[in-house]
Amino acid sequence: MQESASIWIGLGRALKKCVLDATGTPWLADFVHTLAGVVGILTLILLSALILVYLERKVCAWMQMRLGPNRLGPYGIFQTIADIIKLMTKEDIQPAMVSTVMWGLAPILLFMVAMTTYAVIPFDAGVIFADLNIGIFFFFAVSSQATLPMLMAGWASNNKYSMVGGMRSVAQMISYEIPMVFSVLGVVMITGSMKMSDIVQAQEGLWFIVTQPVAFVVYIIAATAETNRTPFDLVEAESELVAGPFTEYSGMRWAYFFLAEYAFMVGASCIAATLFLGGWHGPWLPGWIWFFIKVSAMIFLFMWFRWTFPRIRVDQLMSFGWKVLLPLSVANILVTGIGLWLFFPLS
Amino acid sequence: MAQMKLEHNGTTPAGTELYCLNMGPQHPSTHGVLRVMLELDGETVVKATPVLGYLHRGIEKLAEVRTYPQFIPYTDRLDYVSSMCNNLAYCQTVEKLAGIEVPERAEYIRVMMAELNRIASHMLFIGATALDLGGMTGMMYTFRDREYILDLFNLASGSRLTYSYVRIGGVMNDISAEFITLLRKFLADLPGMLTEYDNLINGNEIFQARLKGVSIIPAAQLVSLGVTGPVLRAAGLRDDLRVKRPYGIYERFHFNVPTGTVGDNWERYMMRVLEVGESAKIIAQALEGLPEGPVMAKIPKVIKPPVGEVYHANETPRGELGFYIVSDGTTKPYRLHIRRPTFYNLGSIETLCRGVKIADVAAVLAVLDPCMGEADA
Amino acid sequence: MYGIGLLKGLSVTLRRCFSKPNTVEYPEERLPVGPMFRGGCIDLNLDKCIACGLCAMACPNSAIDLTTEKSESGKKVMARYFHRLPVCMYCNYCIEACPTQAIHWTQNYEMSALQHADLIIDCMAGKGGSR
Repeated sequence: MQESASIWIGLGRALKKCVLDATGTPWLADFVHTLAGVVGILTLILLSALILVYLERKVCAWMQMRLGPNRLGPYGIFQTIADIIKLMTKEDIQPAMVSTVMWGLAPILLFMVAMTTYAVIPFDAGVIFADLNIGIFFFFAVSSQATLPMLMAGWASNNKYSMVGGMRSVAQMISYEIPMVFSVLGVVMITGSMKMSDIVQAQEGLWFIVTQPVAFVVYIIAATAETNRTPFDLVEAESELVAGPFTEYSGMRWAYFFLAEYAFMVGASCIAATLFLGGWHGPWLPGWIWFFIKVSAMIFLFMWFRWTFPRIRVDQLMSFGWKVLLPLSVANILVTGIGLWLFFPLS
Repeated sequence: MAQMKLEHNGTTPAGTELYCLNMGPQHPSTHGVLRVMLELDGETVVKATPVLGYLHRGIEKLAEVRTYPQFIPYTDRLDYVSSMCNNLAYCQTVEKLAGIEVPERAEYIRVMMAELNRIASHMLFIGATALDLGGMTGMMYTFRDREYILDLFNLASGSRLTYSYVRIGGVMNDISAEFITLLRKFLADLPGMLTEYDNLINGNEIFQARLKGVSIIPAAQLVSLGVTGPVLRAAGLRDDLRVKRPYGIYERFHFNVPTGTVGDNWERYMMRVLEVGESAKIIAQALEGLPEGPVMAKIPKVIKPPVGEVYHANETPRGELGFYIVSDGTTKPYRLHIRRPTFYNLGSIETLCRGVKIADVAAVLAVLDPCMGEADA
Repeated sequence: MYGIGLLKGLSVTLRRCFSKPNTVEYPEERLPVGPMFRGGCIDLNLDKCIACGLCAMACPNSAIDLTTEKSESGKKVMARYFHRLPVCMYCNYCIEACPTQAIHWTQNYEMSALQHADLIIDCMAGKGGSR
């Protein structure tokens, strides 16, 4: 693979050279390089959560003929900062008789899972933290761990509403894992590898959304369900369960859940952009700007869904996932396989 | 509060346990301070018990120490979403008791106001149902359009929610030409608003899937529970007091009464959506036939109805609102009882919620369209 | 096709997303309330008031607390006139009962106060003495 011309690679190499020149120990330079990557991803997640909290409220308001936050700062851009200060200064209420360790660990574990999935997302040519050759498999394996912390939060909260929410979340996330993975399988079949950079490279000529439209639709629906967004947000259904598993969390603990939810949404959008919309490919502008544009389009789509559709019921959710999405994604695999066999016969 | 005794001693045939979930008085989707005690088997409701009384203000008792005209503002606050209809029901009851004739122009204005209020109440219902099912945007659109009606009422009576506009013997004051112009503009814009709700809310497949086929109860059972209004009409019974026992001048208007066939939540919802169109027809007809004349009858300053009792009922957006007045010849009623439709409609929650999921309880409460101010009085 | 309703709903929200919002940015902008609006407290015009007490009698909640006295010329004049906002229903009966139209609404709906006692408005404060 030719050397990447991305600005981020250049920055990383410059940093490595700096440390190497300063100390002379190569492992320290590598360590600092890796640390810079971790810090970069963390900054990206926190920054995107910051912006998205504000944007979600603005987009919601525009769709509802309102203005949204516009008091703090020009156009209300400091609203999130005020929210963060409020959350950090809130009293940390721990209800009586919760299982302290499980209750306390749940938000941390959820956020950890969300953060780890960013390790395999290609932001630009070569700008990927770990270009594993099981890249996309790693993403789905780690993101399916999100089920456990939700269940932990629901169970350990000593609250019936939370428990119902936790049970619903298990049912939902398990049901929609399978169609999501199967929809992506078509892409992997065409590419022939699970490496993220290979998948992006295979889309140089034609984006996969053209050859796999059904898979794209299935992925969008399953990703909405996995990230607990409306119309599948019955885990935290405000009008029935008040906040589901998150009811008993206040202050920064709740902020962790919130951050994790946005991190998952951005992660799912990144994967959709990488797998179906051509990754960082695009004319004139540098790759990471194109990636940013595509991810923003996907995020707008998710927000659009949230503010238009009502919530689906739990038994309808299960029947839709198992009886409609799963056969559809399996049919997609079948058709993709036949297409590959017809047009690219194995020699 | 008595301890709830669980059904079947708290166990299910599968060997699991039932558990109680309290959708308490403070809840985002119980439409006010309503408490529903749910007994659940997983996600399925085995028993739902409503508990009322959290908004009881003693209105019926207050009536015994207020004169007949002084009680009108209290009727505003019964079903605060459809004040005009409450005022109308009460004033017509007193007029029936005292034998007061209302001038023609006042009758037409009363009909227009009552039907406008029906549209406003149903718009709020559509928005609140959309909100309870998760589509918060729907609520914003209906509330925005309801503002037009509230502006009209502000022009006519000076108030946006509790009007006390309909008085014993007529109405408070006449409507101006500006009112009529704005009303015509609103009626012209109404079909566009309804189309938007159709596209966003009614036509949405998820919305329909949430409501269709849920809580089907036969009409006979609803009648025995005392349920009236759109909930009963959805079950197939063409029961509308404006047609069955017309009050005021309702015989002169031609309108359909939407009636359902199946009696599920979807039809309970659609009845009210269709009624908006019918009310618009009535208002248009009333505008055409509006005569000139006084808006208040010549009645004595102090109203002292003869000794006796009377019951009179109106068709409000929620059902049959009835006033039963026992008069002892003085200026204050001896006893006033209000037959509040929401109170009886809420009694059917137990029947409607048997065997549905928790999410459907919120939907059932939404399509019953309760107004707790009326249920508790 | 199943899903047409969903797409129509999406088009509605998208159209609204790019059209003008309906917000009135209070407190910088305020909507006009109309001439008949019942709000604020009672504005008593002592020149027209004949101290008949009909407003207090008409009120269902006894929100008007007034006492009259006889002036030197033997005419009835108002001595105290308090409008008790915590119990006032804004039903308009007092305004309609006044035979000389001496009372009106101030239409100032921003009447919130920190103390309960501040909500009992003295309608005669700052006005000239009796006739």
